Amino acid sequence: MTPLELARGALASLEASRQRIDDLNVYPVPDGDTGTNLTLTARAIADALETTESTDRPALAKEATRAALMGARGNSGVILSQIVRGFADVVGDAEPFDAGALSRAFRGASDAAYRAVRRPVEGTMLTVIRELAEAAERTDHSQSAAELLVELVRAGEESLARTQDMLDVLRDAGVVDAGGAGLVEIVRGLAATATGEPIPEAPPRESLGFDAIHQELSEYRYCTTFVIEGDGLVREELEGELEQLGDSLLVVGDFTAMKVHVHTDEPGSALAIGTKRGTIAGVEIANMHAQTQHRSARLLEVVPDVKTEVVAVVVGDGNRRLFETLGATSFVEGGQTMNPSTADLVAAVERTGAAEVVLLPNNSNVIMSAEQAARLAGKPVQVVASDSIPAGLAAIVSFDPQRSADENATEMREVLEAVATGEVTVASRDAQLNGLAVPKGAFLGLADGEAVAVGESFDEVARQVVERLLVEPRGMLTLLRGEEAPELDALVASLAKQHPDLEVDVQDGGQPHYPLLLSAE
Amino acid sequence: MNLTAQNTAVVLDSTADFPEAAERFPNWRMVPLYVRFGDESYRDYIELGPHEFYERLRTSPTTPATSQPTPGDFTATYTELAGYDRIFSIHIPESLSGTIQSARVAAEDFGDKVRAIDSGTASAAIAMLGFAVQRRLERGTTDEEVDALVQRFKENAGLLFTVDTLEFLQRGGRIGRAAKFAGQLLHVKPILTIEGGEVIPLKRVRGAAKAFAEFQQQFSDSTIDTERLRVGIAHADAPERAEQLRKMVAGERPKAQVEIVTTLGAVVGTHAGPGTVGFFWFMDDE
Repeated sequence: MTPLELARGALASLEASRQRIDDLNVYPVPDGDTGTNLTLTARAIADALETTESTDRPALAKEATRAALMGARGNSGVILSQIVRGFADVVGDAEPFDAGALSRAFRGASDAAYRAVRRPVEGTMLTVIRELAEAAERTDHSQSAAELLVELVRAGEESLARTQDMLDVLRDAGVVDAGGAGLVEIVRGLAATATGEPIPEAPPRESLGFDAIHQELSEYRYCTTFVIEGDGLVREELEGELEQLGDSLLVVGDFTAMKVHVHTDEPGSALAIGTKRGTIAGVEIANMHAQTQHRSARLLEVVPDVKTEVVAVVVGDGNRRLFETLGATSFVEGGQTMNPSTADLVAAVERTGAAEVVLLPNNSNVIMSAEQAARLAGKPVQVVASDSIPAGLAAIVSFDPQRSADENATEMREVLEAVATGEVTVASRDAQLNGLAVPKGAFLGLADGEAVAVGESFDEVARQVVERLLVEPRGMLTLLRGEEAPELDALVASLAKQHPDLEVDVQDGGQPHYPLLLSAE
Repeated sequence: MNLTAQNTAVVLDSTADFPEAAERFPNWRMVPLYVRFGDESYRDYIELGPHEFYERLRTSPTTPATSQPTPGDFTATYTELAGYDRIFSIHIPESLSGTIQSARVAAEDFGDKVRAIDSGTASAAIAMLGFAVQRRLERGTTDEEVDALVQRFKENAGLLFTVDTLEFLQRGGRIGRAAKFAGQLLHVKPILTIEGGEVIPLKRVRGAAKAFAEFQQQFSDSTIDTERLRVGIAHADAPERAEQLRKMVAGERPKAQVEIVTTLGAVVGTHAGPGTVGFFWFMDDE
């Protein structure tokens, strides 16, 4: 039983309960991501142990501590990172590793967790880790470490059940603490790995009361986390400054690296406090109100599983809104002149709560990084290679969150094959395209990537692109107006005359550089 | 007991959208639900016909609401059918309306005579289940055979419809998990069905042409061409769409019998909204 196997066991156990824990989350704010945060934090540890070259226990313990700190997500993730630290500090040096050592490790974990939080609140994962340590100390230390872990699963479950009576917000919602629930799952995973057999879940959990989703939102909007790397960092100083900006503050780490977690309306100011003292990394800013709405929607569904979410690369507020109404939940800003990085895309994928993701690059220059991101992401991602915004819109119409990413992608790709797309832009320099002389400043019309019209009249160029798209019989024409919002009435009127059966849909896309994006399907 | 059209009656509610029930078959009756605009309440079809209803929907500042028949309404109808030994009272599913509850309460006063049947479906499809029962009554049948028919109908009947906007289904709370399937923008047409008494979204497509192509695809995938294939069509103030569907059915399955083409009445129309069009099919075994 290696540290890697243990980490994997804990991760698997968390992963299995991730959604359930997300839905328990009402404290400190009901942002519905505790399960996800704990899972991602545990995954960071497992990943680090997977790739490490170290073999001796003390070095592995240090690596696990570092990985937890760097990978910690959200409030609960940060506290978990401290639990891991306190635990690893003891385990790294303990020889032999028996029940006594394990008991000391839980004590170390509990102490580290309490130290990390400015004002500890009982009825949270702090309570659970402390009562786990107390239970471990009470037990017979002549048994094996594996046997003790099995006992601690039960102790953890009992402690967890008590959290409901300790915090009003939990009692009102009829739930136990989400972070504590995650902790019990971690111990369950460790015990299962140590004994080589699954540790079944104790009594059937109570279903989540509907009141839980009506808990008040945090008064702050953005859950902001980042790591400051520097020299001579002082925790109290950072806390003092960050405290002005919001609540749910956590600052942990050592003088070379500090992880910051704060809920604030001014994420920029929080980051500035970091850059003043060193370099910042691992920045994550999540809109908790959006997360909460998302979670409410999920809980209210008759069938509770959202299996797949869509991540869309978009430019233009109107376009973003269109993708949103059709079910996209995570967005990356980007387009022709501003291609997002693979890391941006991975981050957007990780922000989703669903098990699987369909990624719409919506630009030919983004497709490759999207495919790269799909390989790097920690969950199954299907890239549907939409090469333009209107193509992506046509594809997402067939999206169904209850199907797998694979099923969705198959259908969306079929739609893509039947869509012709076009665009009208303004030539940025004199050029020769497809045998057409294109003077700088002229309107340039493209159909499926080929230059098909050039001229001084926007209407005329747009009309030629439309005619090209309608060479094959089409039922539906979509026109997305760019940020300059060109006048389209004349074009639409003439289309109605020439193609009476064609449905024409005009929307404000708001994209720069392209006065008009078109698709016909 | 041998059940015949002489000793057995069929009672539908007005969500079957078959107001001519009693004219078509002497042993049939229709019990109306109520539709309400503000304080004014109307009996579906009897006091407010579809045509006036859609007119009213366009002009009225208040949105309509509907309510189930009272048990007393059913009692009156069952009493009127005193000359029959058996009554099959066929209704819209419990999950969509309390109608069948009123029917059951009323039925209790009639001993074993009345059997309330949850059709599992809505609109013309309910009437089509009635037609299948009637065909058996006309040649003589039994309770067991009717039970088996209902079971098979629930399992095998097809139903597809689309709405111009999900707003009406949402407003009436008749949509369940289809709610998040919205997308009023971009000419998105949801392809919907009713399964287990719930409105279920199957798919979204853009534009009426694609919705129609989807209807055609699914219809031809799930049927064969035979006289036993029965089809019903219903629309809410969109006769041209219904006609287009009828032509499609005739083209795909020339032998199929289109048993009913109807306009959604005020009650179903309140929940589906104008522009709704749908069709139903059932492969009978005789």
